[in-house]
Amino acid sequence: MNSVNTWTTTQHFWLIVLGFFVAFVPRYFPLLIFTKRKIPAWFNEWMKFVPVSLFTALVVKDVFIDSNYQLAPMTHVPELLASLIVIIIAYRTRSMSMSVIIGLMAAFLIAMVV
Amino acid sequence: MGALTVTYLTAGFLMEELFLTKQVRNPNEPLWLSTLRVAMPLNLSYIPIGLACGILLHAAGFNTLLTALVSIFIFSGGAQFMIASMLTINAPLLSIVLMLFFLELRYALLGSSLSRYLQGQPHRFIFAFSLSMNDENYAVNYLKFATDKKWDGHQALMVEHYSLLFWTVSNVVGSLVGSALKINLSIVNFALTALFLYMIVMQIKSRLTVLICVLSGFLAAFFMILTKSTLGLVISTLIASFIGFALEHYITTHTPKSRWLWKVRGPGSRKDAVEETDSN
Repeated sequence: MNSVNTWTTTQHFWLIVLGFFVAFVPRYFPLLIFTKRKIPAWFNEWMKFVPVSLFTALVVKDVFIDSNYQLAPMTHVPELLASLIVIIIAYRTRSMSMSVIIGLMAAFLIAMVV
Repeated sequence: MGALTVTYLTAGFLMEELFLTKQVRNPNEPLWLSTLRVAMPLNLSYIPIGLACGILLHAAGFNTLLTALVSIFIFSGGAQFMIASMLTINAPLLSIVLMLFFLELRYALLGSSLSRYLQGQPHRFIFAFSLSMNDENYAVNYLKFATDKKWDGHQALMVEHYSLLFWTVSNVVGSLVGSALKINLSIVNFALTALFLYMIVMQIKSRLTVLICVLSGFLAAFFMILTKSTLGLVISTLIASFIGFALEHYITTHTPKSRWLWKVRGPGSRKDAVEETDSN
């Protein structure tokens, strides 16, 4: 692949600077605010459900949604099948590396067949 | 790619054998090493994805120095893939930055949900911690905080820095290798999907969590299609987690014996795996 973009290095640099700020603001301020003051118990109870909800949303994005933000599970058949394998492996072994490695291997092999 | 995969997989298995069998930290082991063991599965996942990301950024016209900079200062796989793909379609600067903002808005949720474990840390620590927090090292740290009472902010920051190192080096190598290496991108990206799936499985404690998980999946698809952007991720996570909280509150006050609170047999419900840290 040749470079298809006509931007100069300076423009790329500014993209990084602006990108840094939009990534840093949501990373920094909530953490700063909520570690500096007393958090109500209900807030913590709510936040307890954030990881599982967010990770599910990210998986759905990877497996069911295509780059045009349309529902496209059929373009991700290897990932779909490998996901089921990962769930079983994670449930059985409780090992992060086993889940990732076997999942990656499964996706790779299924992609060659499908 | 073939040889690389094999090397990577073998290394992974070795690490698994050498590093991850012990759950309890050996007191004689230096802290940097025991923390590295915790971070290692993530670090290894970052190698192929970082290589792929570096290759893509190279194809999008980024030079190696800029690739290193973007890996350090934005440090987000999703964001960097998005930059590369939007550059190849010649999207204008402001629209890329706006899409990045929608994508990165979810970090507000990560920070909020970790804050209970980082109470009382000095300002400088919060600054450094938020600087290199992303989905994956958050996932590792959240799990450690929830299951290991000895896990502290210092170790969590070390996990961030280990993952940052592996990510940046892999990106730089990918950028240098350039188009010499052909990588099936969507398959490589599945390493992260698998990591998130593992985290979901480890978070499942009761039937209610399973319900919220399914709900969140539907909401995520719905809102991403509706907003045509990753803003849908943030909206669906906010709603699903709030419904989870509200349902749990309702059930525990009205019908404490409800079947929805029944433990799910599995890794997350084992006592040694997740002790709920109400003491904080």
